[in-house]
Amino acid sequence: MEKIKVEICCGTACYLLGAAKLMNIEEELPENLKDKVDIQARTCLGLCERDHLGGAPYVKFNDTEIMGNASVEKVLSRLNQLVEGAEQS
Amino acid sequence: MADSLFIEMEAAQFTKTGQAACGDDVRFLTVERENRHLAALSDGLGSGVKAHVLANMTTSMAIKFLESNIPTLEAAEIIMDSLPVCEVRKIGYATFSLFDFRLGGRAKITEMGNPGYIHLRGTTEIKPLKDEMVVSAHWPDREVRECEADFRPGDRIIMCSDGVTQAGLGQRRDMKFGWRRSGVMEFAKRRIEADGEISARDLSMAIAREARYIAPGGCKDDISCVVAYLRHPRVMRVLTGPPYYRENDAEYARQALLGDEHTVICGGTSANIIERELGVKVRVSLADIRKSGGLPPVGRIEGIGIATEGILTLSRVLSAIEEMRSPENEPQAVKMILERMIRHDRIEFVIGTKVNESHQDPGIPQELELRRSVIRRMQQALERNYRKEVVVYYY
Repeated sequence: MEKIKVEICCGTACYLLGAAKLMNIEEELPENLKDKVDIQARTCLGLCERDHLGGAPYVKFNDTEIMGNASVEKVLSRLNQLVEGAEQS
Repeated sequence: MADSLFIEMEAAQFTKTGQAACGDDVRFLTVERENRHLAALSDGLGSGVKAHVLANMTTSMAIKFLESNIPTLEAAEIIMDSLPVCEVRKIGYATFSLFDFRLGGRAKITEMGNPGYIHLRGTTEIKPLKDEMVVSAHWPDREVRECEADFRPGDRIIMCSDGVTQAGLGQRRDMKFGWRRSGVMEFAKRRIEADGEISARDLSMAIAREARYIAPGGCKDDISCVVAYLRHPRVMRVLTGPPYYRENDAEYARQALLGDEHTVICGGTSANIIERELGVKVRVSLADIRKSGGLPPVGRIEGIGIATEGILTLSRVLSAIEEMRSPENEPQAVKMILERMIRHDRIEFVIGTKVNESHQDPGIPQELELRRSVIRRMQQALERNYRKEVVVYYY
């Protein structure tokens, strides 16, 4: 199974509104996710000016799926879903 | 402006071991309207606080007199007349070396009681065009040396306190009279031979450090070394903020093509523009995330430079420059920007003036300064505290 790519936006707004905590998510990954995700930091995803996306901080999964208002819990829970989905298919 | 000249003037100092204050003092002044650059080095009689006060009084008076073009002998007399008299030695005394240079002209060096200056062109010593001794009628035992030198691009002038030339004195058998002026000159020549473009900052520090460690057991005297180096400026560019008009993005991005070591992109949106316009990619490594130290991590753009977050990072850089904090303990992004600024002579800010809507989000807890006001303060602090030449371009 290919690793799930997780990009964390570290632009000013995202950083102030929670990305600072998200950057440490690697250390909080549970065993079942550890070798299945690839966490990356991005200087800016350029999403914060599009206000219909949920607000900063933003995280992007596999280059396509955008999560607004992201938190460590939300990201972990979405990762679990993605891993389970991939395993079932 | 690429052909313009820049004079880098730097000093390195060590305080005599056991003393709370340095008994030498160094001061620089740039007289903008005359394109004139001044330096004063003074060694106060004795050491510690008393010497510190004498040296400080001397440099502050000397630099003021130089600026006002008061004849040197007259200035020297006023200084000697005003210094407080030492209780122990019954004299008031502080030596000085003054450097006065107008871009495009000759350099004037005036010395009283300090080791003779060293003028190097590459590794060749250059003798002064004029070298005169004048004696004050008030103070017949004090001789003032007045020199004029043909100071050309690539030349360096080194001025030291006797803590440098007398380093090692009485401690090393091979240095009966200390390191001496000739030893300092040989050392400087070797450093220049090894690195023809060694900065004034690095050379002054190398000389001071050598004097400091030439013999074991700490500094026996206060050590000060001033180096002035005339050269083409090392230019660094900081791009921050997206241009107001999108059609200027391409031209804005081209400003980043100055070379890896000379470019910093501050701001996520700016980095995105560079990526799009120049077809490059910002990479943030895990190691950089771990080292980021309380600010967003530093990204790297191969062949272009580094990319950091914008306003939080710049605000922190600003406070470090205003307080003259060492880069050492700063978050990685700030440390890297500061180190680059210190290494360069001319800093060009390329500012995009579009307001970032997302910064207006009421949920953002901190006060975000306006980019333009941060840069304006940074310009003042870089000119005042670091004697950098700063230029700002708006997009």
